[in-house]
This record gives sequence, structure tokens and C-alpha cells, in this order.
Amino acid sequence: GVATSLRNNTLGTLFKEMYFSHDPISTIPGAQWDRPYIQQLIKSDFENISLILEPPEGQDLGVWKYEHLRQFCLQLNDLAVILQVDCFPDVCTQMTATEQWIFLCAAHKTPKECPALDYTRHTLDGAASLLNSNKYFPSRIICNLTANLNRYSTWSRNFYRLHYMHTYHFHKSICNPLVKYQFDHENIRCFKFSFTCRHELYAKYDHQSLD
Amino acid sequence: IRGIPKLRELLKRQKGEADNALDGVPDVEFTYADAQSIQDEMAELYSYTEEEEFVRSKEAYSREFPFITSWQGLSENEKKACLNQLINKIDSIEDAVRIPAIHALLYLAQGAFEAGMSEDKLLKQSRENVFLMYSCGGLHLIIQLLNLESENPNSAIIIMQKPSISIVDSDVLRAYLNILYIMVETMRYDDPTDSEFMMEQREAFIFELSQPVYDECLHIILFEMVVKFCAGNCPYFPIKKILLLLWKTVLVTLGGTKEIDKVKRQARLDAGLPEAFDERVPDENGRAMTSNGASSNNQDDGTDDIDDSEFKAATRKPRPRPKVRQKDIDLFLDATRSKFVGFQISGDDSTLAGLPHPIHEGLHVMKKHIYTSLGEYQLNAEEEALERPFTAMKFQSKNEVCESLYKSLLPNIPQYMISLLKILLASSPTAKAKTDSINVLVDVLPEEMPTTVLDSMRLGIDVNRHKEIIVKAISGLILLLLKHFKNNHIYQFEFISQNLVCGNCIPLILKFLNQNISSYISTKNFIPQLDFPACVLNKKSEVTAETLENNGSEICCWRNMFSCINLLRILQKLTKWKHSRTMMLIVFKSAPILKRSLKVKHEMMELYVLKLLKAQTKYLGRNWRKSNMKTMSAVYQKVRHRLNDDWAFGNDMDARPWDLQAEEGSLKTCIDRFNNIHYGSGNTGEEIMNEYDEYDVNIHSVLDSSVELSEDFKNAYEKWLEREVFSAPIEWEQLCSCSFKR
Repeated sequence: GVATSLRNNTLGTLFKEMYFSHDPISTIPGAQWDRPYIQQLIKSDFENISLILEPPEGQDLGVWKYEHLRQFCLQLNDLAVILQVDCFPDVCTQMTATEQWIFLCAAHKTPKECPALDYTRHTLDGAASLLNSNKYFPSRIICNLTANLNRYSTWSRNFYRLHYMHTYHFHKSICNPLVKYQFDHENIRCFKFSFTCRHELYAKYDHQSLD
Repeated sequence: IRGIPKLRELLKRQKGEADNALDGVPDVEFTYADAQSIQDEMAELYSYTEEEEFVRSKEAYSREFPFITSWQGLSENEKKACLNQLINKIDSIEDAVRIPAIHALLYLAQGAFEAGMSEDKLLKQSRENVFLMYSCGGLHLIIQLLNLESENPNSAIIIMQKPSISIVDSDVLRAYLNILYIMVETMRYDDPTDSEFMMEQREAFIFELSQPVYDECLHIILFEMVVKFCAGNCPYFPIKKILLLLWKTVLVTLGGTKEIDKVKRQARLDAGLPEAFDERVPDENGRAMTSNGASSNNQDDGTDDIDDSEFKAATRKPRPRPKVRQKDIDLFLDATRSKFVGFQISGDDSTLAGLPHPIHEGLHVMKKHIYTSLGEYQLNAEEEALERPFTAMKFQSKNEVCESLYKSLLPNIPQYMISLLKILLASSPTAKAKTDSINVLVDVLPEEMPTTVLDSMRLGIDVNRHKEIIVKAISGLILLLLKHFKNNHIYQFEFISQNLVCGNCIPLILKFLNQNISSYISTKNFIPQLDFPACVLNKKSEVTAETLENNGSEICCWRNMFSCINLLRILQKLTKWKHSRTMMLIVFKSAPILKRSLKVKHEMMELYVLKLLKAQTKYLGRNWRKSNMKTMSAVYQKVRHRLNDDWAFGNDMDARPWDLQAEEGSLKTCIDRFNNIHYGSGNTGEEIMNEYDEYDVNIHSVLDSSVELSEDFKNAYEKWLEREVFSAPIEWEQLCSCSFKR
């Protein structure tokens, strides 16, 4: 029956059919149902951003943001892989976003001028270690929103730079291959924007000033 | 003929007495606290030379946001958006983008002042902006940038080549330090009007401040900056701001007086000691002789006290109840036993055989007043742990913040302490300007020296104020560290204090006190109209010679009083129960200096001076005591008494040989052992454990170990195979079932 859906990919499942299910929230087993739920929404219709971002009723907003950031981070890794084809350290020697903005890589003890690709990798690594840090996020079921708000905003700022500004301005050509990874470039951008704006992490002002 | 010198001496003594009789001097109005009000603390952050910079940062802000007419009129989201935009720019590599953004951010942290704004409103605005800034992730970012800037070798090289260094050279560093200081100082207070969200944010801030930002926490970054400054590598560092921030960071993360007391009580309870020493003095009527540990019913005591005061006007605060150490009891017993019994039993305070009844009674009284300090308990526990390495309880600190701070300080504590003392020396008012000593004034001196008399007067006041603030920050910092580490573990305290003593802290403090303390605590090195909020909110009023001269009435200068008391307390902490260090007080002739500072009529200051005097009266000789009866009676009145103490009549001038080197040496051994056991790597503690290590039964070890095969075996291995392997029946299935059984 529906209630006993295992949500497993058995050996030999085709890529098309992987993770393919439409379970209502209540039937997703386990306490950490948000992640499979978000992934399922993305899988079924990745263009329906507002549905994906809509927190389910009664859901703790802290956990919801946390899970979204985690998912976002996961998918940005795909972008980083694609970037490698086009973004070489000797061409993009600095993390640039539009002509006048160059950024310092914050993943070092003292900030450094890393090439764009390194910046991308360091930022993703930093985000991964933060999101998995036992000290700041001891639980995935309860999440203190106020205490973690500032950490979210730092990383979403870095993410924003990394893929919206840099990719969009300097690697327009790689937008196409992204399609097969569920997000075309415009979608990442929209996704990001609606995500951050809705959760007030990142301000609209930046959008205008940097566009 | 014999009478005349005698008479002269009498006269002289009377004159001396008259000098001592200072009852006419009014009491100093001063309340000791962890720090001053936030307004005063903020004002002390800026020097008067920085006046123009307020305007500059305001201009930077209006260039960033030309369309915003009023910051206060913005909604919270709009404010956040602006802050985010600034923070985004701060990440930029380009100086032209980053530096104006920092100044604009500083302006917002200062509260976005406008002419005519009220001070309260400014404070509120500043608080609001700090919380917003924190929630935008500003704290980590700025700490990181501070670190970057302080380690920037290029700027150091450029600045070092200049003929003279002035305040402009530390422009960016000062902006970072200002922002951080405003954040820390704001978060130190909990405002009663705070929302629940703000309270949570505050807690998160304090927690985050004690956490490392990429493997170093702010404390260490700042300590390293202090060391670099002292080493002369970076003379352009704004040392006052660094020290102020360091002091406040320690204060916020570890806690002030209230927290120290709470931690101490808890630690005593955990150690199985009574929560606090019961201070109640049984009153003269013989009423209410309650036993120890009755401090829980404080409310009843309160009402009792009120009743008492109605009966007899209590003019004087009751003396604290006497204490006695276990060591003193042992000494007493040893003496009586050798007197009455003829031999000694060491380490036994219960066997009373052969002692007369009055001695029993004396012992009974002493035991009622016994006080075991946390330090003594920890010393014993440490000894025990050394004797029984497996079964004894290991020291495990409950105070994580304090413990992790010690761990990160440990490798460089000597340098840190010496640097602090060097700066203290350089900024003490009696210090002579030497060419080779460090220059602490770089961050007040303007680029061009003043030309008018008025300006140089103003600069003079600024320089003095600057030094006073440095002394205040250092003394506050050292005292805090000492107190916190003493609660955490006595050897941590001893390590710090030993390093301080080795850095000649004792003569340094005495030298500091060897000045006219009364005039030091009443200096008026401030110009109210130039203090921070006033200088930007009010219309510019010309600073004239009159305003420089008559500012303020006859009030005491809070910061100087604060640093004097702190220094006295540090001195007391360093020398207490340390015979050789007390002798150092004698050697450096501290008694006249201390006695002179008694002129300051303030209860707390008096108490600490008297405590220091009491510790050394024994060694000052009968003559000194005879001629200083006023001081002696003050000691009698105010300082806690120790049972069986001979401070007032002890006469062992050279009875006990003292050897500073030996005593410090043995203490050092103990401290090193403690540090090695608990924080060392490849340490002695592990060596002991290795001897009794468990036998290695892990299967992987078999694959890991190398087996030497002899030549004979190699030649005849086929035979061995035949006999031992091929001919022996092997049941492989068992291996499988074996793994299943698990």
C-alpha cells in the first residue's frame, strides 16, 4: 500500500525512475522527512519554485531553512563540477562578479585572493563543514533559528556570489548543460532569489545594485 | 642632656601621627564595578584626535546611500538590506570599495548620529544596528578582516619606512577595532526592553565570541597583536583599542564579578565544600550562634539586621568572621604536642591524647572556623591524582570557556604577560620617556604636531587620558584572568601569576603606586565637550583654555580609581600565602608606599592596602609597628583576622631563611607537571599509562607486524608447507560460521 512505501532505489533502477515517488508528508518514514520531501518536490516539478519553498504547515522554520540550504549546497556541487570545464584558474584568477567586484575567499584563516574555481570549492567545503558541524547544528530535528540566522546569511551571500554573479557574468555558455541537472541557470537564480527573499536572508537591494 | 633628643623624637612622632590623622579628608565617592556605564566606556574608546573621523565616516555613509534621507525612517528590512550591501562590499579586495564601506558601517554601529539627536536615542539606535549587524553575519567577517589587516606585511613595511608614525597609519585597523568594540560592549548589557529574540541573539553572540574563527578565537588574535606591538614589529597598532577590546572580550565571554562568584560557589559545592564561608559574627549578647552553612536563610538574617540597627546605631561595618587554615591548626597542634607530650604526630588533628582540656577547647574553636579554599582542595586532588593515576578523579573543568581559553593561551602565556607588563610600565604616569621603550602614544599623536598653545594643551590632556585608559584596561584584564583561572584550577592561576612575578610585576605595581595617589585618582584628564556622543550631537563649542582647566567638580576619576584598586588586588593575589613574595614586598620597601596610599579614603582601596600591610607587618620589626599604631589599628579593624595569627607581635626578622629562587622553582615544577599531565603531548601521564597498556589483541596488528624469516626456513619452506599446512585438515566452513556467530 501507499503507507509502506520504502522510498528505496533497488539495484538496477534506471536513472529515470530513481527517487521517483509522490508521497504525502505523513507517509514519509522517519523524523527527518523534510529532506526527502524537498527532493521529491524538486524531482516532480523543479520549476514550481513557490511550491518547493512553501514550508509545510507546522514546520519549524529553522529546520526548513537548514534543509533547504543543505539541498541547495548539494546541487551547487553539480554546478562546481560543470564549472571546472570552463572556469580555469589561469583565466579566472580572481573571484570576480561583474567587472568591479573582486572577492576574498573566506575559507582561510586569513582571507585570500583565490581563483574563482578555488573560491567555489572552498566555499562549498566550508558550507558543508558548517552545515555538518556538531557544535552549531547538533540536531536536524530542532534548530535554533535565531542563533543560526547569521551563519545562514553569510553562506547564502557567498553562494550567491559564486554562482549567480560569477557564473552568470563569465560563463554564460555553461548554462545549457545545467538543464539536465534539473536546474537551468535561470532557475537557480530564481530559486535562490525567492528562497533568500522569502526567508529574508539576503536583500533585494543587492540584486538591484549588482545586476 | 639626655632628655633633648628624646623630646625631639617625641615631637617627631607626634608630627608623624598628625600626618596619619587624615580623618578630615572626605571619603572618595566611588562604586567598584566591572566597568563604567556604557556611555563612558564608549567615550573612552576614542581619543580626542579622532574627532574629525566621525564626520568622515558619516560622509562615507552618505556616499554609499545617497538616496536615504533618514536612517531612522527605514523599515527593519530596508536597514538589513543596507547592512548586507555594506557587508558585501567589505569582502571586496579593492581598497577603494572596502574602506569606505567599513567607515560607513562604523557610522551605523555608532548609531547613525545626526546633529541634535538625544544621547539616549543614539544609544538605542546603536544597539539596534549592532543587533542587525550581528544577524547579517558581521561579527565573524570583521574578526577575520582584523586578522588579515594585522598580518598584512605590506602595510607594515610601508609604514615602517615613514619618518614618523601617527594616528593615520592605523586608520583601517582602528575602524575594525571600533566596530568590534561597539558590538562587544553593546552585547555586554542586557537591556530590560530587549525582546526575547534579542536575548537569544545576545546569548548566541557571547557563545560565538568565545568560539574560534578558523582555529583562533578573538582573544588570541588580540593577544598576538599585543605581542607583535611590543616586539616592535608593528609600532603602528592602536594599542589602546586592542587592549580595551581584549579586556571587554574576556569580560563578556568569561563573565564579571557576579559570574565569578557564582562559578566559585558552584565549584565549591562540586568539590564537596560548603558553598561559602559563613560570615556571620555572633553578636555580643551571645545571641544567634548559628552553625556553618546557614547562609541559605538569608532573608531571616536581613530582618534581624534591621532589628539590630534599630537598637544600636551600627556606625561601623562588622569585621568579617575570622578564618583559620588547616595548616595553621597543624602548626598549633605540633607546637602544643611538643610542649605537652614531647613528640609530634604529623597529619593528625584528631588525636588529643595527653593534651590538657583547655587545648581541646582551643582546638574546638579553631575547627569551627576552619576554611578550606578551593585552591587547597585542588592542590590535594592533584597530589592524589599523581599517587593513584588510575583510580583518582582527574581534574575536569566545568567551565568550558575558561578552560579552552587557558588551553589556547598556554603555549605563549609568558610572552603575553610580559607584553602586558611592558605596556603597563610604558603607560604608567611615573614612567620616564626612554628612547628604547615602546611608544604607546602612536594612536593619539596627530599627523602634524599642534602649533598653538591651546592645541598642545589639548593634546597633553589627550595623551594622559590615553595612558590612563591603557592602565585601566590592562589592570582590569589581568585581574579578570587571575580570578577566573583561580576558580577554574589553582595551578592555572599559579602559572599566570608566576609569569607575572617573573616579569617583575611586583616592583612594577609598587613603582606605579609610588606617586601621589590622591592626585592620580582625582586627575581631570577629560574634556566633556569632546567626548564621543557630545562632540557629534551638539553644536561645536570652541574649546578654550578655561574649558580645559575647569571641567568637572571635585569628583574622583573613575578609571584611575578602578585601576588603582585593580593593581592592589593583583598585588595581593600575587603575594598571598607566598612567603618569598611577601619578602619581596619588604625588599622593595613597599610599606611606606602602601601607607601613603591610605590617604585615599575609600573603603575598598583601604581594605586591600591594609591586607597587603598586614601580610608584612611581621617582618617590618617592632619599631615599625610601634611607630605606626594608626595603621595597625586600621588593620585590626578592617581586615579579617586569622586565628592564631601573629601579625601584630610576630618577630621573626630572619627566623625563617627565605630563598626566592628555591621556592619559585619548586612551584614551577608543580605547575609544569600539572600542565604536562593535562595539556602536554607525549606527556608523562601517558608514559605511566603505557606501562600498563592493554595487550594488543587486534587482528590488524598481525598484518602490521613484520616477521623475520631465517635463511634455513626459506630454504626448507616447502617441507614446512607440506607438514604444517597441506597435511593438516583445515575446516574453512568454521571460519564462515564464526563470522556469522558474531
